Amino acid sequence: MASEGTTAPRSASKYAPEERTAIGIAFGNTNSSIAFTFDDRVEVIANEDGDRQIPTILSYIDGEEYYGTQAKSFLVRNSKNTVAYFKDLLGRDFASIDPSYCHASAHPQETNGEVTFTIIDKASSEDGEAAAPSTVSVHDIATRYLKRLVGSASDYLGRKVTSAVISVPSNFSDAQRQAIVKAADAAELEILQMITDSAAIAAAYAARIDSETAANEDATAEHKKDKIVVIADIGGTRTDATVISSSAGMATVLTAVHDYEFVGAALDKVLIDHFAKEFAKKNKGIDPRENARSLAKLRLEAEATKKALSLGSNGSFSVESLADGIDYTATINRFRYETLARPVFDGINRLVESAVTKAGLDLIDVDVVLLSGGTAHTPRIADSMRTLFNDTATIVAPSTIPAATNPSELQARGAALQANLVRDFDAEEIEQSAHPMVSTVQHTSLAVGVIAQSAAGEVFTPIIAAESAVPVRRAILLPAPKDGGDILLRFAEGSTHVNTVVKAKAAKSDDDSDDSDVDSEDEEDEEERSKGWKVQNVLAEAALRGVKKGAKIEVAISIRADMGVSFTAREVGGKAAIRGSL
Amino acid sequence: SLSADWAAEGDIKRIKTLSAGAHRSLEPVGPQYLAHARRMRHNRTFSEDDRI
Repeated sequence: MASEGTTAPRSASKYAPEERTAIGIAFGNTNSSIAFTFDDRVEVIANEDGDRQIPTILSYIDGEEYYGTQAKSFLVRNSKNTVAYFKDLLGRDFASIDPSYCHASAHPQETNGEVTFTIIDKASSEDGEAAAPSTVSVHDIATRYLKRLVGSASDYLGRKVTSAVISVPSNFSDAQRQAIVKAADAAELEILQMITDSAAIAAAYAARIDSETAANEDATAEHKKDKIVVIADIGGTRTDATVISSSAGMATVLTAVHDYEFVGAALDKVLIDHFAKEFAKKNKGIDPRENARSLAKLRLEAEATKKALSLGSNGSFSVESLADGIDYTATINRFRYETLARPVFDGINRLVESAVTKAGLDLIDVDVVLLSGGTAHTPRIADSMRTLFNDTATIVAPSTIPAATNPSELQARGAALQANLVRDFDAEEIEQSAHPMVSTVQHTSLAVGVIAQSAAGEVFTPIIAAESAVPVRRAILLPAPKDGGDILLRFAEGSTHVNTVVKAKAAKSDDDSDDSDVDSEDEEDEEERSKGWKVQNVLAEAALRGVKKGAKIEVAISIRADMGVSFTAREVGGKAAIRGSL
Repeated sequence: SLSADWAAEGDIKRIKTLSAGAHRSLEPVGPQYLAHARRMRHNRTFSEDDRI
């Protein structure tokens, strides 16, 4: 959506396809990751620290540069020379940045209209005199970080990484995109293509479904080609809810909603506040949040506890010398945490719901909810999505589908898959392929299908889903009426509507749900909502004559780029057939 | 289920054309998209593309 009408930023450094080694990079504000495709297998690369989620942090101690987890630990005792949360500062005016996440590390400042940091990144001289601080632009910080990231990938692969596909939020401006390409150029990294985070996530998911479908031919019904997918990408400092129409592996964004409040950092804050208050209660009212170093320790440990609570039902929290030299150890169970964090979880729910509404859809229209981002590991979020979607959509998260792809890895995987696809292309070819002239196509506004007689009367069966990109071609098999004979097929456009049937209060109200806290809403009558089809326009009628008893009819519809429609209907293994176009 | 008085030339009765669609942007990502881009750039149809 935000990319509409814009051309992709071009990387200046160019490599011939055969000289390229291309990786996928998910460059986040909080964490980044790198991935590579070996044949058809994607591997998220661990850096030399063994991390696959590499904190987007850079730190300097005595001229030595640290990045990732090592740099993150220096937020406690070397916060002034540590730069964190800098990705969102790239390509922006100083006046428009939100520096609140940078308070705990080096502060951004303005130098000649550029966002810069003052850090001591040089070694002290031999006579022990401290080095003078340098002013480093956020651009240089990003370059240095990307160099380290690419260096880790090169070390792992044993050859120099030359190129990458990198993913960015869909509401990134052209200036922000250009700034990332410029930083990559300076790091001698060729950006083959810049894709949106949601497209990367969708690609990683689609690749997985494709491979599962290939492995299991019978799975076609479950893995139908056209789906409405909601991607809830819940990160450390931002959450994006994107509704996409996925048509045979091609994704069209219907709406995207961005939020900076209901994020992973808000969950950390819930735990920070909880433990800080507990500590104060036990220690004469000393609030560790009032001391920068204590707060930094709290923050690191709260995040670790949060991660533990995603995996187990108990999390321990312990910090040595938290404040005033006092050690602190405590535990928290998942239920308590979920109660405290409820406002954040509710906020994520509202965000997802608002994205679906904004797309002009009902929750019941959604086929798949794909949870992505580090915070998506939280089991409670998957649970509340299941409740929100009333079990009509498949919720893809580790706690609902144990074999689901790690939500932290989806973006890097998608970028790596794309890197593998485009690495053989010339830069011009990639640019032309992504050009709006090519990517912008007509999408059907209604579903197109066939009305057939059945025992239950006339039934509309959709063949091509609404919001399908044209040209498109789909076919289905329909059972012919029992007696065969001459059949009237009516081709029509249809839309979905929601049938609401109010059921009397369920007999077993003591549902076995795990949240046994008294919920007054459960007292109401249950409404059962189901999706129905309504015929909008009959496009054509066709007669199929002489169909045998109990035969099957294959009905195919194709829509051309000019929105012209062709249809065929034929009896499987029989003579009756008809073909027409509009 | 075909009523006796139903008749049309070639057994097809055309009633309406498809309602207007909307122009939207595909995400330029994934093998299916690249196949689409290839068809667009060479102005090929599905079946022409399959043959190559």
